Formats: sequence, structure tokens, C-alpha cells
Amino acid sequence: MVKGLSLKLKYMDLYNKLISGPGYSVYPIENMKIFKKLRDSFVDKITTSIGSGKNINEVRKAMARMSKAEVNKAMINLLTFTNLSDMMIDSCPDLVETLCGKELFIQRRAHTIINVPGKDHSKQWTHYEMMSGISPFTYVLWAPLHDLDDDGGAYHIDQKISLEIMKKEEATGLVNGPTVFNMMENQKPPRLKFGEAVIFNPFVLHGNVPFNSEFARIACNVRFQSFNKPLLQKNTDYLKYYRLQ
Amino acid sequence: MSTVTITTDINIGPFKIPSNGQNMIMNNYAQRNNLIVDVIIPEPMMSNALATVQWLHKDKKFSKVILCSIHQLPNIKNRIDELLKNMQNVEFHFALEGISGKGKTFLLECINEAKIFKNAKTIDSSKTTWSELYKLMQQKGTR
Repeated sequence: MVKGLSLKLKYMDLYNKLISGPGYSVYPIENMKIFKKLRDSFVDKITTSIGSGKNINEVRKAMARMSKAEVNKAMINLLTFTNLSDMMIDSCPDLVETLCGKELFIQRRAHTIINVPGKDHSKQWTHYEMMSGISPFTYVLWAPLHDLDDDGGAYHIDQKISLEIMKKEEATGLVNGPTVFNMMENQKPPRLKFGEAVIFNPFVLHGNVPFNSEFARIACNVRFQSFNKPLLQKNTDYLKYYRLQ
Repeated sequence: MSTVTITTDINIGPFKIPSNGQNMIMNNYAQRNNLIVDVIIPEPMMSNALATVQWLHKDKKFSKVILCSIHQLPNIKNRIDELLKNMQNVEFHFALEGISGKGKTFLLECINEAKIFKNAKTIDSSKTTWSELYKLMQQKGTR
């Protein structure tokens, strides 16, 4: 009973942080059995596609040497990973339920993002998730499939700062313009461990920077919202109905 | 044993896709999934009965059908029953959702999902702003 109550308070605190605080938070994956299975499924699928790699670090090493075209091809082959969204949601059921309830609209196909080291790669222009037409009631759950030992992770900008920039951009009719672009300089992505995730709302600016490493960075992310909240532009092309067990 | 693509009315659930756009979407889907399209069937506008394809299927015995979206499936009981009776052995592909399958259970799941989305509330993005959307999230919460 006491444990249940403290868990509830912890989640309420997180909920408030995501709505009216910084808008993002680092969160430990609840069900590591599912999350490890997710990582192993990824390794199986990508090994078939690229022809090498027995574990996540071998895959990372092989992918770090690949061209952009080869990485893109491998990522297209990952479209067969059709249960990635379900696995990500099921690895954090209490968090998802606290934020959005049991009945959900979730991304039909979660993304796997492979970032290759080097100056010519892995620049993800700072952006808001809102720009894609997802509902303002959506959250993004982002998790690396390995420890982040370098700057290959993602950075997130406090909601208040994100909002100020958003208002300025709105006034000029721009979204993700030069102000946002210049924010890429001097960002330091946090070094998450395997089993940690970042959860953030769609108004939080985020991105990543070029990094040096022998290894590629591999992470996955999924978007979800309550079934009881309205949609925006995304519909069945992007979302599916999902009920937590 | 042939594969068909079907164009329908421009209004497809929440989407508005002209028939040449529908053809582009379905042909791209076919190409990505190594499907060769043999027949193109235009269903009439203002109907989601899929009656033309069912009528032709009696003679031609289609094996695969490609549509743009699950929103093109019928939503009235007698039309659903007709489709299930006539087409349950045909493999259905929905390009925008990227899903495929065959049989009564699969088709009913697709019809049900389309209904869930049809009943969901939607914010009209042409009548709002980024700031208003932010306020909405702050005021209403996310649960």
C-alpha cells in the first residue's frame, strides 16, 4: 500500500515536471526484460540486413563505417520491425498509464535512429516534435540501445526557453529557423545508460550534435497520446489504437 | 490470380486524396513490397461499398487488393457483411497504414480501427496557432 502510494506520488511529480516544469525528464525503463528483448530483436534484424554483428556493440562498430546510403538502406529494412512500438510502450507501462491512461493512440511504427560519428553526420537540427502534426497531448519516449559513452545522445532545451523561441518564431512565421539552428552549438547531450529513457512533451526543443567515436549511436523512440484527447494532423497513417494490459 | 489497386472518392476519412495521388501512393506501396499490379479499378465517388471490385472479383478471382487506407472500407453493416462474404480469401493491403492481411478477423479489425479514429476528436490545425496548442496542453493536461 505504502509502496503503491509512493509510486503514485513519484509519477505525479513526473507528470507535473512534464506539463509545467522543464518538459522533459530522464526515466528508468520499468521492464528491462522487454527492453532487452527489443534490443536483441533489433540486433537480429539489423544483422540480417547488414550481414555482420553478433551484439549491439558489434553492430554499432560495423555501422560507424557505413556510408549514409548504406545506413538509410539498413533503416528502411527495419520497417519489418513492426512490434517495436508495442515493445517500447510495454517496457514503461506505469509511466505511460500515469501520463495518458490505459487507452492510447501510439505511433504505428516507432523509429530507430542510427547516428554515425563524424562531422558530416548526425546533425539533427534542433526541433519541436509538434512540427510534424502530432497532437499537443503527445509524449515522446526516447531510449538508446546501449550506454552513451560519448556525445552521441540527444539534448533537450527547457520548456520555458523552448516556448519563448516558439513565440518569437511564430511572430515571424518561421518554425525551426536560424535561432533554433544556432542552438546546436555548444550543446552537451547527457550520457544515458542502457535502460534509461528520456520522456518529453512535443514543445520541448531537442536535437543532437556531431560526435567522435568508433561506434554509431543507436536509439529508438515512440510517440503516444491518450485515446481521450484530440488528434491533430496525424491519423491512421501514423497512429494506431493501443490498450495497455 | 492477380493484384488490383482501387481508387475511390477523394474524401478518405480525414484525408483528401485525388485519384492520381491515390494511384501514386498505391503504386509506390506495390513497388516497395514487390507486388505487380495487374488491374486498376475505379470505384465511383460518394460510395465506400467497394461494390465494383466485388462484382469483378466473381469472374477475375483477385488474390490481392491494394487500397490507400483502412478508411476506404465500408462502414455500414450490410455492406461490411457483403465484403466479408465475397472477399475474405483476398489479401488486403493498406498503403498509408502499411498493414496487410486477409480473412474476416483482419478486415473487421481494420474496420473497427477506422471507426475508432472516425470517432476521435480532432483539432482543426487551420484554426489554431502554436501558442494556442501549447495553452491547450497546459490547461487540459494529457490524461
